Amino acid sequence: MKSIKDVLKEKKTGLYYGNRVLLPFSCHILKLNIENDLITDFSPSHKGVHVSENPDFMEIYFYDYKNLADVISEYEVIKMIVVEKGKDVFHSKNHITLDLRLEDDHIVKIEELGENQIFIE
Amino acid sequence: MQLNSRILLLVFTLSFLLLTSQDLLASGYDQPEDSTSIVTSIEKNHAEEHLPSAFMVIPFIILLAMIATGPLFYHHFWEKNYPIIAIILGLITVIYYLIFLNETHSLLHTAAEYLSFIALLSSLFVASGGILIRIEKKSTPWLNAGILLFGAVIANIIGTTGASMLLIRPFIKINQDRIKPYHIIFFIFLVSNVGGALTPIGDPPLFLGFLRGVEFFWVIKHVWYIWLPTILLIAAVFVLIDSRNVNKDEPSEKFSGKIEFKGMKNVFYLLIIVISVFIDPAVISWVPSLSPLPIGIREIIMFSMVYIAFKTADKNILKANEFDFEPIKEVAYLFIGIFATMIPALQLISHEANVYRESLTPGIFYWATGVLSSFLDNAPTYLNFLSAALGKEGMNVSLPIEVAKFAQDFPIYLSSISVAAVFFGAMTYIGNGPNFMVKSISERSGIKMPSFFGYMIKYSIPVLIPIYILVWLVFYF
Repeated sequence: MKSIKDVLKEKKTGLYYGNRVLLPFSCHILKLNIENDLITDFSPSHKGVHVSENPDFMEIYFYDYKNLADVISEYEVIKMIVVEKGKDVFHSKNHITLDLRLEDDHIVKIEELGENQIFIE
Repeated sequence: MQLNSRILLLVFTLSFLLLTSQDLLASGYDQPEDSTSIVTSIEKNHAEEHLPSAFMVIPFIILLAMIATGPLFYHHFWEKNYPIIAIILGLITVIYYLIFLNETHSLLHTAAEYLSFIALLSSLFVASGGILIRIEKKSTPWLNAGILLFGAVIANIIGTTGASMLLIRPFIKINQDRIKPYHIIFFIFLVSNVGGALTPIGDPPLFLGFLRGVEFFWVIKHVWYIWLPTILLIAAVFVLIDSRNVNKDEPSEKFSGKIEFKGMKNVFYLLIIVISVFIDPAVISWVPSLSPLPIGIREIIMFSMVYIAFKTADKNILKANEFDFEPIKEVAYLFIGIFATMIPALQLISHEANVYRESLTPGIFYWATGVLSSFLDNAPTYLNFLSAALGKEGMNVSLPIEVAKFAQDFPIYLSSISVAAVFFGAMTYIGNGPNFMVKSISERSGIKMPSFFGYMIKYSIPVLIPIYILVWLVFYF
């Protein structure tokens, strides 16, 4: 599986179908924002979101939304603070803030958060 | 939030609203004797024949209750269904007026007012969404207070919605190393609400007053000496709290001290929008009226600005601002319902106020407008109490000449309603449109905001209520 750094460097994209996002890397998610929902609970008991890991990719299901494309408009993004698998979660220098932008043909553009955008830990 | 709390709040809201409507029902059919003359009594009976049934307030009550509770307690259902709910409730009133009262004047008047209202809000929203401000300075309590006071002032030029859109992101950005919910809450107090009390562009209730006939500069003339100490007091409380939260560690980034401003053409659009507010046949005689169309030159200019500002905006700025039409779409749909369903409420309240005219003081108007503006949207609340105050003097809120005369002859009443509608909008997340927008932008920026009751118990009641009591004691007691 590719590292987040490689994915960002190679400008790899993810995919989305309905309420499901597929990302070409695996990571620890610390905090996530979609629409007005700020999610920090990724345990199985949380009903709003489910993260599933596969050998080559990871999936995030947003159960509160039927179709992500209907709620996330052209200039909106999904934001998340993540840590590369195997890196020290407790070291803030390892925390990466990503934005996921939904594009046509089910493509998810993955970028590091721009300098004008904000997502506070 | 626990289910019990939700049920309690719903029961409380509905009981309060039902009590209000029962009072209307009772008083609507049991009028006290008017001792002045038989002629007045005959006129009154004639007027009552044209009054809508008190039951027609129910769609308005349902809509306001849902606006208050929907985003908090069933927000996914609400987000999906609010357009249809607002339109259906509005249609009930429209059909009632068309079929049972055979009255089209109120409907056309309301349609024109709605279009003016939404033209101003949407144009300010879109134009300010294409502007990006970056402040590269170290956050200090005085810099923060300066931004809040600056926001309070410009809220009167570009509206509380525009000022909030423009400043909330730079405000969060400069405070990112030590941001706390109180930063956002004081922003809501000053920029999204209290600041905009000086002009009709400042806050939607005052614009509705302007559309009804209150002179543009009336508010600034009669409210500035209340506005100034209030915003200074709130800012002083902010500085006091913020001084205890100064970060002594090295900031995460170096500051160049620059203030960057992008999207200059949108400032030009904002200027056009502000100037167009005056392009009204009632203000400038040579401006053509497009009557009987429910739209004028002013609204055409404003709607054109919505299109031009969006189409010509810098896409990178829109991305940085995470621009989305949803907030203004929500206002547009909800206010279709609010404007339509409040027609009977306005007429009945005006009538009732005329009946109980002796007991209504500026203090009563201040607190009644204030308390309702805290929990309901402050724009319809303002109009309801303006209608009541005019009704008290036997005047009609639908006649601009009478509204202007009322503003001139009874300034303390209009001042108490205007101040309360704007100031108390800051009491809850639902008191004024921009409050929820600022909360939403803050949460999207990663800030965990307090709950509905947390906001009130921790912040608005302890900070604002003592200041509002002072305002009442000094100016309206």
